[in-house]
Amino acid sequence: MANSLFTLMIFSPLLWMGVLALLFFSQMKLAEERLSNALKYYSLYMVFLALSLAVVTFLHRPSFLLVDFPDWFQVGDYEFKLRFIVDLLGATYALLATALIGVIFRFSRNYLHREPGYFRFVFLLSTLLFGLIVVSFSRSIDLLFIGWELVGTASVLLISYFYDKSQPVVHATRAIISYRICDMGILAGAAWSHHYLHTTDFVIIPTLLDHGHGGVGLVFIGLFITWASLAKAGQLPMCSWLPAAMEGPTPSSAIFYGALSVHLGPFLLLRFYDYFAHFPILLVLVGLIGGLSAIYATLVGRTRSDAKTMLAYATISQVGLIYIEIALGFTGLALFHMVTHASLRTYQFLRSSSLIQDFYENPVVEHNKTIQRKLFFERLFSVSVRQRVYVHALHGFHLDYFTGRIIAGFLFPMRVYLKWEARWMEFDTRLLKFLLRKK
Amino acid sequence: MLQDLLKSIRPKLPIQNPLHAFVHNNILQTFEHLDFHEAVAQAGKLYRGRPYWETYRYTQLYADEKMTDADIFRAVDHYLGRYAPVPSLSVLGLTPKEYFYRLMFSELSFNDDEVQPKITDQSLWEHCQEKVQGEALVLSRSRTFLRGKEYWEKYYNESYSTALQPLAIRLISSYLDQGQSFWANPFRGQGFWSFFLYDLEVQTPYANGWLQTLTQKGQTYRGQTPEQVIEAELRLTGLPESQWEDYLLEILFDLKGWSGMVNKLETEPWQAPVKAPEIRLVDYLAALVMMDRAMDEFHAQAHSLDLSLLYGRREPLELRSYQLALALYQVTLTFKLPSRWMRDLSSRQLISIIDEVDGSEHRDRARLWHEAYEHHFHREALEALKGHQVGQLTFAHRPYAQIMFCIDDREESLRRHTEEVDGEVETFGVVGFFGIDMNFVSVKNKRPIAQCPPVITPSRIIHEVPVSDAKAFQRWNLLRGTSDLGLYYNTRTLFRGFLATLTLGVASLIPMTIQVFFPRHNRFLRRKLRDLFGREPETELQVLGTDPGVGYSHVEQAQIVLAVIRMCGPRELARLVLLLAHGSSSNNNPFRQAYGCGACGGNAGIPNSRAFAKMANDPIVRAEVEKLGYRIPEETFFVAGFHDTCTDEILYMNQKEVPATHREDFDRLKHHLKEAAQRNAFERCQRFSSFDQTTGLAGAIGHVRERAHDIAQPRPEYGHSSNALAIVGRRRLTRGLFMNRRSFLLSYDWTTDPDSSVLRQVVLGGIPVAVNINMDYYFSAVDNDNFGCGSKLPLNMTSLLGVMTGSQSDLRIGLARQMVEIHDPIRNLTVIEAPLARVQALFDGHPRLKNLLYHHWMRLAVIDPESQKWWMFSQSDFQEISFEGPVLKGFTSSLDLLKRHEASDFAEINHGE
Repeated sequence: MANSLFTLMIFSPLLWMGVLALLFFSQMKLAEERLSNALKYYSLYMVFLALSLAVVTFLHRPSFLLVDFPDWFQVGDYEFKLRFIVDLLGATYALLATALIGVIFRFSRNYLHREPGYFRFVFLLSTLLFGLIVVSFSRSIDLLFIGWELVGTASVLLISYFYDKSQPVVHATRAIISYRICDMGILAGAAWSHHYLHTTDFVIIPTLLDHGHGGVGLVFIGLFITWASLAKAGQLPMCSWLPAAMEGPTPSSAIFYGALSVHLGPFLLLRFYDYFAHFPILLVLVGLIGGLSAIYATLVGRTRSDAKTMLAYATISQVGLIYIEIALGFTGLALFHMVTHASLRTYQFLRSSSLIQDFYENPVVEHNKTIQRKLFFERLFSVSVRQRVYVHALHGFHLDYFTGRIIAGFLFPMRVYLKWEARWMEFDTRLLKFLLRKK
Repeated sequence: MLQDLLKSIRPKLPIQNPLHAFVHNNILQTFEHLDFHEAVAQAGKLYRGRPYWETYRYTQLYADEKMTDADIFRAVDHYLGRYAPVPSLSVLGLTPKEYFYRLMFSELSFNDDEVQPKITDQSLWEHCQEKVQGEALVLSRSRTFLRGKEYWEKYYNESYSTALQPLAIRLISSYLDQGQSFWANPFRGQGFWSFFLYDLEVQTPYANGWLQTLTQKGQTYRGQTPEQVIEAELRLTGLPESQWEDYLLEILFDLKGWSGMVNKLETEPWQAPVKAPEIRLVDYLAALVMMDRAMDEFHAQAHSLDLSLLYGRREPLELRSYQLALALYQVTLTFKLPSRWMRDLSSRQLISIIDEVDGSEHRDRARLWHEAYEHHFHREALEALKGHQVGQLTFAHRPYAQIMFCIDDREESLRRHTEEVDGEVETFGVVGFFGIDMNFVSVKNKRPIAQCPPVITPSRIIHEVPVSDAKAFQRWNLLRGTSDLGLYYNTRTLFRGFLATLTLGVASLIPMTIQVFFPRHNRFLRRKLRDLFGREPETELQVLGTDPGVGYSHVEQAQIVLAVIRMCGPRELARLVLLLAHGSSSNNNPFRQAYGCGACGGNAGIPNSRAFAKMANDPIVRAEVEKLGYRIPEETFFVAGFHDTCTDEILYMNQKEVPATHREDFDRLKHHLKEAAQRNAFERCQRFSSFDQTTGLAGAIGHVRERAHDIAQPRPEYGHSSNALAIVGRRRLTRGLFMNRRSFLLSYDWTTDPDSSVLRQVVLGGIPVAVNINMDYYFSAVDNDNFGCGSKLPLNMTSLLGVMTGSQSDLRIGLARQMVEIHDPIRNLTVIEAPLARVQALFDGHPRLKNLLYHHWMRLAVIDPESQKWWMFSQSDFQEISFEGPVLKGFTSSLDLLKRHEASDFAEINHGE
């Protein structure tokens, strides 16, 4: 039964996207009301599926289900296998995804009423859901990458939802560059793993390691995977794009950067946990990144005075903590933290428009009287220290400056090359002029 | 020097309040000393906005027969009357009328490379090309640029918005914040300027690009005052002093919302949501000027350009010979000129004609369309008023109840429905704060709330005091406040955030699910919860005061009561008088204040109607009223009511006190009002496209309630959308006239007001408010991106002051797109029923009204009851209106009309006939 449940789970969103795409290409104008009605049933159906699947997996834990579909394609020795793993981790994440996206669909029904981009919005969220389900259940990096990319694409296109304004497009570009830099990590990890182990299968890799396949080279898989997880999770050093990504409609910011997309980073690490457990050094690294990001984000977030950016930094700091939990081996806690954190942030994002009135009506906030808060920060440090820390934090500890320097470093050979090329061209031109001069 | 500059700059900045205290304003209030069209053209340059709709919207309306040729001709006539910059018409061989008429329907694009007309007439085209061979024209509407910004953006693709603005916004928003961020800005007491300099100092080691130039500037200016810095930089620009103001304004208007807010918090610090930080416009301006100059210097250096050549440069809007030929071709076709018209003209002459037509197109076209459109509606409205059967309002006997509504345009429909449901109710429209200019302190909140129009400074403070046990309530209230605040800050930090997330995270699914899926139950559950832990106590308003500044004395109360009664001018007070204040509930809506009662500063008017009823029911006050010469019948009882314009619920605040003798009447009134409110909801639902028409009346009330409590709803109601009229007069003018919620209704009976003191009160209290609302909607509707707030969807609350678009942007001003999307931007037409001379005297004698009228920020018609003549103020005097005897469609009731989906704005309701 679980098998067929899972088949439905993975093919329904694909079918749904196909229907939407067909509607779009046949240029049928679907009335907004019909679309939102259809969405209602669709999301109910998906939540029901995900819930049943989660219940079934929960009852059969710790054993899990492997679902194999026929291979997609074969090139030489390489086979692209459509193999899935249905375990508690994947089922939980899929349940979280369907439930929250259901909430967002319902929310957007009124929020995006009369909006010309409603169809686009729905399609991108459907893409997100499909991508997340693929990521949740894939059994190998190769397959996971498909879902990973779909999530990234949907995210970027929703940041630039208002594409007739320049700022959303600029920030979407920033997001896509960060994504691509880290996506290289997944590809490199997959290539490395294929090279050393001839597979990227999450189930097989740990057993291979258990049986003594080893070598220093294998650490690199983990390094690449850790690297790959950073952009989506907004961890250091890839964290400045996330607060800038709040350009789309509020519900899309909520679902991506408060909830589902941002937790894909820790999800990837959890997927790989059995592998990571063999390399404590990697866990130390993950913990360090998480810890630094958490402290960094919470300090910077404390100086932010707008609702969404503030929430973005708060999210980064909690995801940093989840990294630490994973590093310490508390995988159950990490999963629970992910679920509970995603729910809380979604709610906070959705309600962020109430902020001004909430403060105004709060009986504790009085007129013409600064809000009194007993902060350790204010009691422990003198004004001059606080001012210095504040200004540094306000500028994100100059992260952009340092990243810029590093990028410039990478580009140095290119610059040298360009300089020499320019000189050569100049010489070349002169030479030509000399040769072609009128006699 | 700089002081003078600042003095003339300040009034030009946007005047919007922080959002929690939003009030509708004519956003160009400080331009009212100019003629409307002149002012919007000037402001359009500052705000970089379009002062009228795009022309295609008007042509669309024309195609839909929302205006006629007659309207267009009239607009042209009017225009010619005061202004005739017509290009050399004799050369074109056109009458001015023909010229403008054809211009309005043309689609000229002279220097637009993308939209090029198709060449159909080949021989003409060749002729045109021949004529202007080798010529070029720099259009006279070319602009002078004062700084580098546009230049870098255009030619070097270097955007200020990605470099300069993020820094400026980050600094100013964190400085102005009053509690939204976790850390309060530690520079708050020291001023923005020292914060800015300190910031530059810290940034120095990490600066590259233009920031480096800026930090260097920061070092050179260390120890100098902002005034010195601005002056030094201005001198460095090399611009003549006459252009300094424009230069500074341009810089300030790059971030117009923030600039306006800085100015606001400096000049009116009490408007701050919590406590305004010390801020001076000059500090902020100095920082902006420094940044702007640093940016210019950096780019000039990078591209080896001489800045002195850039400053004061004229942007060449140039037509080359090919474009000139195209222009000539378009002119020939547009104005239907014979192909030989240019035969005898020199190319110089032709070019000057093109220049003139181009200027005229940009200046006149949209304006003429707008005038024509407005005129059409105004004429329609006046004809409806004239054609309406006046005089049917005679009560068989004394009405058993009277209702005093607010003048608000949204109450027009409820008033109408009430009268239709119960013909024996008399209704009035008074300004909804009922003359009580108070700061109100409720039991829920210690914060005093100004419950009066924003132009009035509250003179008294009135406290609400509990009369039943309030301990539990106060404890719960305090607990709720503290925990709300605690949760707000502590869910966003690291360790406390960790604990909060783990404990509350999953729990937050419950309220989220309820609020998203079951919005109507949300409020119900909240109330249940509150009743369980801290039931709101019975309260009383302390209207009587002895200390100065607290409450009113009996005599003052009597004056207030009498003033309101005089304004309504009833023949006799009924047994029941209901004071129906109004407000609007909505959820998760940053613009909530914009939906409230404008006369109560955007708040709900409950305290006002309660206070008034309490005053008027007090026998001592009644005795005082009698001393002033008016007798309130002993049996009259005043009921304090409240109408929620969003949910269409009606509450009665003192219904327990209704005497047993009045019970029956009160129940009848209540019952009928409920029915009327239901019909009102149905009428409002006609504008909501998500309303299911098949659910009918019962569905309508459910639909509007759901809107109010839904956290996902960007349009809880449409507010004042489509407001366009204000009618001052007796109800007999308008009773039984369907006006589609387009009119403010102010009661005024000229027969009981020999010295026009009441007229003065009524007009001064209501008309400026109506014009403010009208103008706020006007500008947000014509160009929502630049005069308004843009879409509501990506808004981001900031610094407890306002909203930004996306992660970071200018502080937005005006109304959101979703609030004004169905609004027709039409200037307010006020119709006053009173002797002409009195109206004239009133308007001439009041500075703001005079500006509004003579500079055409509003239109005014006067129905002179003595001579039975109708007058309209046109250019600078009143002219008699001639009518063409229109026929209004008749319906048995408003409901009947709505069910037939009648599209017109005006109709006759002959109930019962």
